[in-house]
Amino acid sequence: MGKNVNLAVKLGNIIFKNPILTASGTFGYGLEYQKYMDLNELGGFIVKGLSLSEKQGNKPPRIIETPCGMLNAIGLQNVGVDKFIAEKLPYINNLNTHIIANIYGTKDEEFIEITQRLNKEEIISAIEVNVSCPNVAEGGSLFGKNPDNVFKLTSSIKQNTDKPVIVKLTPNVTDITLIAQAAKDAKADAVSLINTITGMVIDTKTKKPYLDNKTGGLSGAAIYPVGVRMVYEVFENVDIPIIGVGGIYNADVALQYIMAGASLIEIGSANFTQPDISIDIIKGIRRYLADENIESVSNLVGIAHSSG
Amino acid sequence: MKLQILQNEQIAGSVMSIKIDNPGLFTARAGQFFMVKINDFNYPFLRRPFSITYFKDYIEIVYKIVGEGTSMLAKKQKGEFIDMIGPLGNGFEIVNSKKILLVGGGIGFAPLRFLKEELKGRSFDFDSFFGFNTKDEVCVDFGNIATMDGSYGYKGSVIDLVKDVIDEETLIYACGPSVVLSKLSDICLEKNAKMQVSLESRMACGIGVCLGCVIETKNGMKKVCDEGPVFDYKEILWEKM
Ligand SMILES: Cc1cc2nc3c(=O)[nH]c(=O)nc-3n(C[C@H](O)[C@H](O)[C@H](O)COP(=O)(O)OP(=O)(O)OC[C@H]3O[C@@H](n4cnc5c(N)ncnc54)[C@H](O)[C@@H]3O)c2cc1C
Ligand SMILES: Cc1cc2nc3c(=O)[nH]c(=O)nc-3n(C[C@H](O)[C@H](O)[C@H](O)COP(=O)(O)O)c2cc1C
Repeated sequence: MGKNVNLAVKLGNIIFKNPILTASGTFGYGLEYQKYMDLNELGGFIVKGLSLSEKQGNKPPRIIETPCGMLNAIGLQNVGVDKFIAEKLPYINNLNTHIIANIYGTKDEEFIEITQRLNKEEIISAIEVNVSCPNVAEGGSLFGKNPDNVFKLTSSIKQNTDKPVIVKLTPNVTDITLIAQAAKDAKADAVSLINTITGMVIDTKTKKPYLDNKTGGLSGAAIYPVGVRMVYEVFENVDIPIIGVGGIYNADVALQYIMAGASLIEIGSANFTQPDISIDIIKGIRRYLADENIESVSNLVGIAHSSG
Repeated sequence: MKLQILQNEQIAGSVMSIKIDNPGLFTARAGQFFMVKINDFNYPFLRRPFSITYFKDYIEIVYKIVGEGTSMLAKKQKGEFIDMIGPLGNGFEIVNSKKILLVGGGIGFAPLRFLKEELKGRSFDFDSFFGFNTKDEVCVDFGNIATMDGSYGYKGSVIDLVKDVIDEETLIYACGPSVVLSKLSDICLEKNAKMQVSLESRMACGIGVCLGCVIETKNGMKKVCDEGPVFDYKEILWEKM
């Protein structure tokens, strides 16, 4: 033991001290977790999805537990980009970790305006674009389901920022590699996958869907094999850095994502069950590398694809 | 934080009391709650919220077995460790008033038991009223009791038992099913009384980040976990509960 292992990873021009990020919507604005852990130990954290103006979100009930997971229909409630910059950023601007802003809109212009505002904020390291939201111009079908829309949106966002742009993909598509390819063609710096999987729970007492929104997004341990499979497919077919997310709850699952092709990973719903779980996962990965005599975590990225 | 179970026993029909060692690392207020991890695996996935029933050299939680999580909790043995996050939430705001009433429906008595200690500590006078369905469910050892079937104490609902006592000098601390709280709210409005209610809602994180537990209030969406669970009854949109 005591062997030196290297957890640092590079994405575009930024260096992360380790590949562990926390996922948007599961980590608030970072502040809330300061009580439970040292945020500086993370590779970075991704804040709750930001819209142009403050959003109230969906009506309750918004969540329901499922076997080894949960269904949510929060409806992207958030304080809005301006309040985030004015009221939240000042409290997290002296950290030694990367802060990534997650953004969403209902039309291209909104995404662009949010990007322009965040671009001025030096402490934002990168922008993650949530394309799992309805595109008003297309009658409400998700941006992320259509490669052309993803290409167009990503290109315009790229033109408005010099920060790395990560496109966060929805798994609710027939072929995720087509969407990843569109992001790459539009010069995205990375793709992150997966967002939640659409599901439904029916309350047999009321004989109606349990969530007011009827459907919700499935997250948690139950979904990790879907995420690992999709990361594997994208790595095989598209040459773009991948951030793996979905159901990660320990170092073993995190390593599965890395071996499937993810350079970094995001911890989501598992933060709800154990607020400092990311720290355990970092330790677990370090231990694995030491035990296996592997010098750097980068040596494992995509290793599951090698033949022999 | 993993704490040792000192005792976990049935105190009435499907009601259990779990006593947990208090390492003295924190303080708590009545109305606050813990998020309890049922076991070390991913099933059940989420922690369960439980009010604090007693807080001194040990922490007591009184819980009703209603589903899988509480059934598993009921099987925990003395000496085992249990992972809890807390105390969380705002808790009751303790203020004096000419007439203070504690009103609980069913397991809703749980946070009021702790509140009773705090009120006694400040030498505030109060009266307590609790309602249960049957004698078998009665799990309090103080206050005026009503049962729906009349098998113990007053026959009828706790609302019937308490309604004539409420006047404009009354401050009520209440917890229970939302139908009971909603009826109580109507009476308080009519009599111009004050009331703080402790509410329940399904939550994932318990610490204000997931935004899953919100309720609709006159001041917009509010999180039960960190903007509650105690609210002024006038703020709640009862028709939406
Ligand atoms: C702030 C707060 C304090 C509470 N204090 C107490 C207490 O002191 N004693 C007690 O017996 N109960 C209390 N409850 C309710 C308790 O949390 C639920 O009874 C418990 O979570 C049920 O778990 P289960 O797995 O047995 O039920 P299941 O129905 O199998 O649970 C399924 C899911 O729904 C959630 N859920 C089900 N019922 C409720 C509910 N009424 N409120 C919130 N979430 C629910 C569970 O947490 C779980 O995620 C409190 C709830 C809240 C929000
Ligand atoms: C309550 C909740 C809120 C979320 N909010 C967002 C969001 O605002 N933006 C986003 O891109 N993803 C959001 N997600 C998706 C997560 O970031 C993540 O992609 C997904 O939950 C899968 O990972 P997990 O299984 O580890 O949770 C949210 C997920 C949950 C459970």
